[in-house]
Amino acid sequence: MSQYCLISKPYFVSVSNSLKFIEIFWLLCTGGNVRNLLGLALLAMITACSNIPDPQVASEQTSTVCDLPYTKFQATVTGYCQEQAAVLPTSIPSETLTLEFRPVEQIPEVFWFNQKLAYTFNQQPKAAPLVFVIAGTGAAHNSPKMKTLQKTLFSQGYHVISLSSPTYPNYIINATTRDDMVGDLAKDAKSLYAKMSAIYWQLQSSHNLEATSFSLTGYSLGGAHSAFIAQLDEEVNAFNFEKVVLINPPVSLYNSVQILDSYLDLAHERAASVAMVERIFERLAAQYAKQESSELSQESIYSLFAGAKMSEEELKLLIGASFRMSSTDMMFAIDATYNIGALIYKNHDISKFESISHSMYRADDITFTQYFDRHMLPWTQKLEPNVTRESMIDRLGLVVIEDYLKSAEKVTVVTNEDDIILAEGEVDYLREVFGKRAKIFERGGHCGNMDRQSFVQYMRDQFVGANTL
Amino acid sequence: MRYKALKLQHIALALITLLLTACSAKPQLTENTEPPSIKIADDFKQYSLFEQYADPFEGFNRRMYYFNAKADEYVLLPIVKGYQAIAPAPVEKGVSNFFSNLGELPTLANALLQLKFGVAATSFGRFALNSTVGLAGLFDVASPIGLKPQNEDFGQTLGYWGVGSGPYLVLPLLGPSSVRDATGLAVDSLGHQALIKELDLTTEEELFLDGLRSINGRANVPFKYYQTGSAFEYDRVKLLYMKFRELQIKR
Repeated sequence: MSQYCLISKPYFVSVSNSLKFIEIFWLLCTGGNVRNLLGLALLAMITACSNIPDPQVASEQTSTVCDLPYTKFQATVTGYCQEQAAVLPTSIPSETLTLEFRPVEQIPEVFWFNQKLAYTFNQQPKAAPLVFVIAGTGAAHNSPKMKTLQKTLFSQGYHVISLSSPTYPNYIINATTRDDMVGDLAKDAKSLYAKMSAIYWQLQSSHNLEATSFSLTGYSLGGAHSAFIAQLDEEVNAFNFEKVVLINPPVSLYNSVQILDSYLDLAHERAASVAMVERIFERLAAQYAKQESSELSQESIYSLFAGAKMSEEELKLLIGASFRMSSTDMMFAIDATYNIGALIYKNHDISKFESISHSMYRADDITFTQYFDRHMLPWTQKLEPNVTRESMIDRLGLVVIEDYLKSAEKVTVVTNEDDIILAEGEVDYLREVFGKRAKIFERGGHCGNMDRQSFVQYMRDQFVGANTL
Repeated sequence: MRYKALKLQHIALALITLLLTACSAKPQLTENTEPPSIKIADDFKQYSLFEQYADPFEGFNRRMYYFNAKADEYVLLPIVKGYQAIAPAPVEKGVSNFFSNLGELPTLANALLQLKFGVAATSFGRFALNSTVGLAGLFDVASPIGLKPQNEDFGQTLGYWGVGSGPYLVLPLLGPSSVRDATGLAVDSLGHQALIKELDLTTEEELFLDGLRSINGRANVPFKYYQTGSAFEYDRVKLLYMKFRELQIKR
């Protein structure tokens, strides 16, 4: 038994940051009987999918580009590795802090590890502009994509406060109320705005935080949240944001989840989906066996992926599975917190040693669309009887704040022509609404280019930091 | 002292056997609980990836997973932090290389047992070169010249010869394993101990080496329990571990 790991840092991040699955693998290494993690990394791609070179690694090997054939699905899963990675600082001052919203004794025991709302704070040594960052669907404040944004913004001279998505379990358990409806953008924005204010007040007293101005950004669902928060801020004026950048936001949440749901239909095609996963696994295993070293490097991963020749259907499956895991986690957290009884036994406190596999099996088949129809819509209608299915769908999109977005000079949007979560015509819609304030890159899929040179340069142009003083 | 330790081991073993089978992971339901409204699909058992791997020790495993998470947070990680604060980066690297080099011998032995002569040759070359030119393994001079790191253990050897994984098993402190791999681990540990004996160290020195090896092992793993934030981490780690071992054995 050797307790030596060949690889010391994760090379993978997940689609939409819904999963930080690769991180699990390092645990297995502590097992002592696992010296090499390549296999686990491969498995990560199979079940959690997506690898983007760790920014730290990327900055050391700036010349590294992959020779995978480009598709928007490949870019979403393995990152837009055909473009060079941006040079970002290897490490920046970073603290994980917590703030209590729901009393700890009210947190369900099954979430014993998740007490208090966690967030990341990167503090400049002196007074500086402050930027809030909101994570994407199912992603945490410290997910790999968030870390990339933190480095990008911190190196521009900003204090950075990062919040998890309201779809992330830690947020749901600690920082939602029974009347909240995770995914209802305006309500989420209100909830996030309150958390941002509370966190800002906490840091002023605990860290002598001095902010000279406030800005806001977020990617994916966090991008849509940012748009709604910006609008809310015009009324409440707690921050008076100077700059708001929406990164790869959905235009219509409903359209986006329709697309993602179509990638994985377990309820009707379970046998075929499982068989496909097994085939991907077999091919990656075969590639791994061919490889001379059992070591994992950036190049070897790309070559394994290239060798495995993933089809479009397979890449879609990986993306769908990744989002499904996020939604499973999200639904379980809501169910356990509010005793709904869909996935869990109603009126029963789940002990920390209890098997909850059955809840996962139940949730894994449920699509976002089903969540919308079975949970969001009826629960909202209970509070607001006038809401129809159509009006609810509208609510979950930028269209309801379109007028604001058209006139808000401070709000800009950046996305890719081939972002998979955008339905036909939605890129044009963004061009129409934002005009010159829309930056559309030709390639990158969904958030596949956030650590690449041209994207990071765009962000640097948006967040000029101390220069505005 | 020896006698006492042995006795403790026996007690621990008896306890573990009891725990393995006696702990339940089933929900303790009361009268007013209602079953979940969403049903598990009928064809789930037939096709699920998760159902491929038996977990009869789930009650024990889940408790151990919890214990490991706590031990990691309150004991292991603070020690690792202290170690990293004290040891400069080159020292850490050297320590890591040193233990990696010691690990070449079990790799070599297991490669031979699996008739993988190419892997065995590479591993032997690495050991010979790193032990001499690499100053007793403190430097890895073999990798840059193309002798790439290999990885074999007795669990893989058993798997190679057709021994199934057996049920999933979470080991105290060491984490995910299976009945087969835990057995393999025990055999590899015996080999390692024999190896250490050859170094002719005092008890204190051996203890120091063991301690350093454990700290080094943990320090090389940038993982924290429940960093996924998911309530289903246990289930997903189980699946990944079992799949990963299959992949290693196929290599």
